[in-house]
Amino acid sequence: MDAATLTYDTLRFGEFEDFPETEEPVWILGQEYSAITERDEILSDVSSRLWFTYRKNFPPIGGTGPTCDTGWGCMLRCGQMILGQALVCQHLGRDWRWAKGKRQKEDYNRILNAFLDRKDCCYSLHQIAQMGVGEGKSIGQWYGPNTVAQVLKKLSTFDSWSQLAVHVAMDNTVVIEEIKRLCMPWLDYAGATAFSDPDVVREVNGYAEGACALEEPAVWKPLVLLIPLRLGLSDINEAYIETLKHCFMMPQSLGVIGGKPNSAHYFIGYVGEELVYLDPHTTQPSVEPCDSGQISDDSYHCQHPPCRMQIRDLDPSIAVGFFCKSEDDFDEWCMCIRKLSGRRNALPMFELVDRQPSHFTSADVLNLTPDFSDSDRLERFFDSEDEEFEILSL
Amino acid sequence: MPPLDKCPHAKPFKQRKSLATRMEEVAGIRAKFPTKIPVIVERYPKEKYLPLLDKTKFLVPQELTMTQFITIIRNRMSLMPSQAFYLLVNNTSLASMSQIMTEVYRDHKDEDGFLYMTYASQEMFGSIVANFFNIDF
Repeated sequence: MDAATLTYDTLRFGEFEDFPETEEPVWILGQEYSAITERDEILSDVSSRLWFTYRKNFPPIGGTGPTCDTGWGCMLRCGQMILGQALVCQHLGRDWRWAKGKRQKEDYNRILNAFLDRKDCCYSLHQIAQMGVGEGKSIGQWYGPNTVAQVLKKLSTFDSWSQLAVHVAMDNTVVIEEIKRLCMPWLDYAGATAFSDPDVVREVNGYAEGACALEEPAVWKPLVLLIPLRLGLSDINEAYIETLKHCFMMPQSLGVIGGKPNSAHYFIGYVGEELVYLDPHTTQPSVEPCDSGQISDDSYHCQHPPCRMQIRDLDPSIAVGFFCKSEDDFDEWCMCIRKLSGRRNALPMFELVDRQPSHFTSADVLNLTPDFSDSDRLERFFDSEDEEFEILSL
Repeated sequence: MPPLDKCPHAKPFKQRKSLATRMEEVAGIRAKFPTKIPVIVERYPKEKYLPLLDKTKFLVPQELTMTQFITIIRNRMSLMPSQAFYLLVNNTSLASMSQIMTEVYRDHKDEDGFLYMTYASQEMFGSIVANFFNIDF
């Protein structure tokens, strides 16, 4: 395996071109830069992102499994990168910058620690690979963007430090009500009991007040919104490209996980018609924290100019990510998306709706069955046919 | 990776029948069921995870929303809510979930009078070369 890894990595290393000198704006995770006057700022922003790559010689997954993820872990690593960015936004802020060798805040070490390749770290490769078994993926199998999003959602419930609300919006639809309930579950309890027994209300209120006294008043659980999409069958439908670019311009942007056929990348921005990304396809030795708890973190930051690729070469299977730290932040995001869907040259990639259409949850629609009387009437019409229509009725 | 289902029809619907035949078929069915929309639903030929539907031709009530339609198909395939499932109209764009069938038909119907949809999940990512070495994990 080492021989294969070597060849692969060697091939990859020749590719780092300098950033292009262009008048076109560079967008990195909601921040705009000039490629001419702000080159250092761009590189500093990029190298501040957490860069998760293939690693080797980590403790075997599940005790007897793989000790290296070269060849299969790229989408799992991209999942770590997009979630890592959410944790950076929450605990350190979007403007936080990393500097080589500089002693960082305790929160930074805590974030990095959650991603080390050990079974007891919350978002480790070990945790992701093992949680994927519930999504039908055995250890070592390839993931798609939705697979890793679903796994991260499950793992986040064990992260009592960050208290994230991870929402994976299915069927290319984002339901505002669903998200507000997820991020402010206490409102739901209050709303539900307001109409029932007054005694219960008092009890619930008493409990809520008690809970608030213990910690800061709960306002909004920080939202990580992941939207898995398929923007075409074999190629991305070009009508989506403008909309995709806009995702990198929003201040809430966490970027996009996706890739080229077979290689997963973490896309953090774009310039002109090119996407800017962090590539997990480099195998590095796994890192153990030293006795003082400090982690040697050089290999977790990409210190060469970021990779670029043509947007139209993007594989259509992606997941778009956003981070909303407060309710206002989320409301602003909704407004942005609504404005964007009104533009003529940008086809919306997903739909934003206020509430789940009531029929979606009702049992009626589930019982929709073929109408047999109609089928009978069809018999004469199609008796020479090999295939019949299936008739759906409301 | 699950084995590919045996494909009952090697070619997509559109290639199995001439334009004239398809137009005739739509005219006949529309005359009989003026309030229903003729929809062809097929699996993306390279799809590896979603099962085949036993039917490709559907007559759908005009006022059915895309959300409802997708729920029906998801249930037919017994998919978990967390499984990726996408319906692409004319092989290109994701159907807007709040639209009703008449609207989708108005915007995207084919010259033969059918509305064509293809379903697919998501691609998986990994490197073929290295995966070969990992195959016995």
